Amino acid sequence: MKLRFWGVRGSFAMSGRDYLRYGGNTTSVELVSNAGDRLLVDLGTGATELAKQLMGSEFGKGKGKLPILLSHTHLDHIQGLPFFTPFFIKGNEIRIMGADPIGGLSLEATLQNQLAPHYSPLNGLENLAAGVSIESFVPGASFELPGFVVATAAVPHGNMWTTAFRITADGKVVTFLSDVEYPSPDEPLPQALALAQDADLVIHDAMHADRDYDLRKGWGHSPARAGVVVAERAHAKKLALFHHSPDATDEMIDEVVARTAAQTGVPLFAAAEGAYLDV
Amino acid sequence: MQLTFWGVRGSYPVPGAATVRYGGQTSCVEVRSGSGECVIVDAGTGMRALGNKLAGEAGGQPRPYHVLLSHVHWDHIQGLPFFSPAYVPGTRISVYALVTAAEELNQVIGGITRHEFFPLPLESVPADFDFHQVEPGVDFTIGVFHISPIALNHPFGSVGYRIDADGVSWAYVADTAPFDQVLHKQHFLSGPEPLSAGDKTALDAMRAALVERLKGVDTVVYDTHFLPEEYARFPHYGHSTPDQALDICAEASVRRLVLYHHAPAHTDDQMDQIAASYLAKGATRGIEVLTSFEGMSIPVGVEEMIVEEPTHPGTGVHAIPQVPK
Repeated sequence: MKLRFWGVRGSFAMSGRDYLRYGGNTTSVELVSNAGDRLLVDLGTGATELAKQLMGSEFGKGKGKLPILLSHTHLDHIQGLPFFTPFFIKGNEIRIMGADPIGGLSLEATLQNQLAPHYSPLNGLENLAAGVSIESFVPGASFELPGFVVATAAVPHGNMWTTAFRITADGKVVTFLSDVEYPSPDEPLPQALALAQDADLVIHDAMHADRDYDLRKGWGHSPARAGVVVAERAHAKKLALFHHSPDATDEMIDEVVARTAAQTGVPLFAAAEGAYLDV
Repeated sequence: MQLTFWGVRGSYPVPGAATVRYGGQTSCVEVRSGSGECVIVDAGTGMRALGNKLAGEAGGQPRPYHVLLSHVHWDHIQGLPFFSPAYVPGTRISVYALVTAAEELNQVIGGITRHEFFPLPLESVPADFDFHQVEPGVDFTIGVFHISPIALNHPFGSVGYRIDADGVSWAYVADTAPFDQVLHKQHFLSGPEPLSAGDKTALDAMRAALVERLKGVDTVVYDTHFLPEEYARFPHYGHSTPDQALDICAEASVRRLVLYHHAPAHTDDQMDQIAASYLAKGATRGIEVLTSFEGMSIPVGVEEMIVEEPTHPGTGVHAIPQVPK
């Protein structure tokens, strides 16, 4: 399995010289199986860059198929949707899969609101030329997608829940735990540990530097340390710090990596836009 | 009056090495009068950095802020929840926008902070918001600023603003399509639709009213999202080219055109070419063409401070006039 981070930034897309090495796009992660099956997690602004690449392939000819998993519908995780060009090509088949947000609106109604005529000239999902299906699942569900097996769980994110994923392909496991805050960074919840058990790579929310966390407790994000605790307890092989704060410049992320790596024997790195990585 | 550009990009923010010089954040312009009064035009992602600057200036104290919206597409409102002065209790934020449908403005703008999209709903943000409906042709004032909303041609409606203060004037004309091929209404367009006689009349009237309002304006900031060959492919997207903006500005005898709302796909190198080519094109029509970039700050109506020698030797008085152009 290969993996590419197209967007690693949390909350807000950051442009400019201070964000070039790790990247300023909001969250989007592509997974590709050895057989070439593709799966996307989240539709932040990073997805618009992937879209350009996909349009050069079968997606440009209306023959692409893509499942997309959404961790949740906060804007930084869906703001690339209206600009993900494979949606505009008739014949592409794209599934958007996620949990219904709390509060009563379905996933589909939420995405319709995003594309409501006030906010977007697309005026609704029905105007996307591709075949698009919006599929809600209940967190805790496991399912198969071509080339991938996916297990899910709800994890707390401030006043709501996000969905975490354990994605298996080619005998390798990637765990996606973004936008999560545990009761304490040292007390990860059992469902998070279960998804991360023996994973080859854990991608974990690291929005806050450890020393900033006290000021931002309860906002729904983790300090870098939380991912370390998860990776250690779950015996994960590698940890990617993810969902970097919009205030974190490249130098600040370098520093977080150095400080965090000094706490643990688990190999770790800060997720960065760029090349395909072997899992 | 001074204009500072905090976001110059259209559609969505584009981080990365290809946008470092012109900037990747979406529409937001800070307007300052000579006396320091401020209005903000559009609340795209550029508004986050502007908010951080204004919060620093305010030193933690609540201040009133005024935000004029051209329309409520995401790229023009998405910075509002990240405007840090909104989190200082006692702050008042007045939002001015076009009402295009039955919903109230507070519902439309509040809708972007529904809990599905953002952790904190607008009604829980410490600042107090008030909402003001604008109507094309109905002028109003905010402090020293005299503001004239102008109807534009964009899906679901959009307004430009002519803003006069300090004896000078400029106008914000975004987002808008040109006024010939497509009349934007309140439904989805998958391509250009045939124009009825009534549509053509409406377009002509909209164009004439825009040109009329731009007469005597020093600087026009215009939606020039597309190059001509791009516009030819997407005439129904609701955006213009620099050539179309130049035509309007020439008719209205505008001194200076600022290219704005750059397509997200335009790299810095392409923007350099666009800037050079339209600087030359503008010169042939007597219009100075500037290409906006994030961080650009320009005075309106005053090219530069000029220090003249005393004209009457012996008076000892050095005149330091600001020269309107």
